[in-house]
Amino acid sequence: MRVCIVGNGLAGAMFAKSLRDLGGDMDIDIYGEEPYLYYPRPNMIEYLAGRIPFERMFAFEADWYDKRRLGVHLKTPVTGLFPDLREIEIAGKRRETYDVLAVASGARSFVPPIKGADSSHVFTFRTLDECRALIDRLQKKKGLIILGGGLLGLEIARGARARGADVDVVEFFGRLLPRQLDEGGAALLRKQIEGMGIRVHLGRACREIRNDGENLRLQFKEGEDMVAESTVIAAGVRPNIDLAQSAGLETDKGLVVNDGLQTSHPSIYGIGDAVQFRDRVYGIIPAAFEQARTASRHVIGEDVRYTGTIPSNTLKIAGLDVTSVGLVNPENEETEEIGWREEERGMYKKLVLRDGMIIGAIWMGTKQGIGEINRLIAAGTSIEQWKNDILHEDFDFSVIL
Amino acid sequence: MEKWECTACGYIYDPENGDPDSGVKPGTPFEELAEDWVCPQCGVGKEFFQKMS
Repeated sequence: MRVCIVGNGLAGAMFAKSLRDLGGDMDIDIYGEEPYLYYPRPNMIEYLAGRIPFERMFAFEADWYDKRRLGVHLKTPVTGLFPDLREIEIAGKRRETYDVLAVASGARSFVPPIKGADSSHVFTFRTLDECRALIDRLQKKKGLIILGGGLLGLEIARGARARGADVDVVEFFGRLLPRQLDEGGAALLRKQIEGMGIRVHLGRACREIRNDGENLRLQFKEGEDMVAESTVIAAGVRPNIDLAQSAGLETDKGLVVNDGLQTSHPSIYGIGDAVQFRDRVYGIIPAAFEQARTASRHVIGEDVRYTGTIPSNTLKIAGLDVTSVGLVNPENEETEEIGWREEERGMYKKLVLRDGMIIGAIWMGTKQGIGEINRLIAAGTSIEQWKNDILHEDFDFSVIL
Repeated sequence: MEKWECTACGYIYDPENGDPDSGVKPGTPFEELAEDWVCPQCGVGKEFFQKMS
């Protein structure tokens, strides 16, 4: 049997690893368009910050793949899918045949319709080559404006700052991390970020970027222009589904898959950032990994079902532990919110409840209790009778769990 | 033995389970993992991990 994998990111690499870990003996070939072995995206921030050397970017070395008989083909993009023939086209030239195909084509940076976004010294930050280009520029010129105050924008800000850059973050919404945090939590995070010497600007929409040769001048819908030597656009990502669409596979926002991670063609699986499951495109590591793992088990014939991933980000942002789980910004819902904060200690907690059950949580400045909260969300347990106490530091969860 | 959490992706290393797929036996404390051990979920190095309180 032969398994081919489109994409050499986390989903593709972990899918291959998982097949071997499960004892799968089939031929496995991974095709990646980049010139690098699999690298975890979080490593890019450490590399940008100068905290790890280039050699530590990669999860596994070349001999790791050889020992597991994994064929890895770099700088080799898959340029066409032919589901009925069970063939893929490689680099516009030749064809390869497979028994099972996994599409793990990931996502690409979204660039909003900003005039001049294609100017030189305007960067996106998704690939290692883009990271290296940014580092190269920052080594010459220190000024940087980051468009996007979400997870990636803030991580780039922190990494660039650690390298000595002069950084402004500009966010379109009225708060940082708009998808994960509410106003209160975002305000706490802003203080932390500004405390690192990063300037934050909220509610600003960039309309045009002009390059005068030396500097970029950014014009906004309202308010003053901003000028800097470089800009990074960190405005989100979009699934890479062109290949799948051309091949006639079912797509919507992403490549649509069922609970076996199969696309509309049963011999083709979809995993990772490119994929949509029950109307959701996750774009987070735990989902990519769970999908890769479940799909590999399905391939070897196990009766497994993927039931989705509870979106949970537990990250250290600007030195602050920030955990966001489930639905944290309810709209038009019959929900209730309970909160607790101790700003001097940089702590903030919020729970979103529906019918007494926790459906969302934000925890900042502490991780105590978050594991138990995750379990309560997954179990759908009512915490109605403990509402008044559950956010206290010394709450004993064993009364519920 | 303490559990350690990957700050990049949330994976929790539980010494009681180890990481058998990577040849790490159950009962191996985090401190004894090799320097080139990586997170089984996302592939980042040990430096991304923090002890869980």
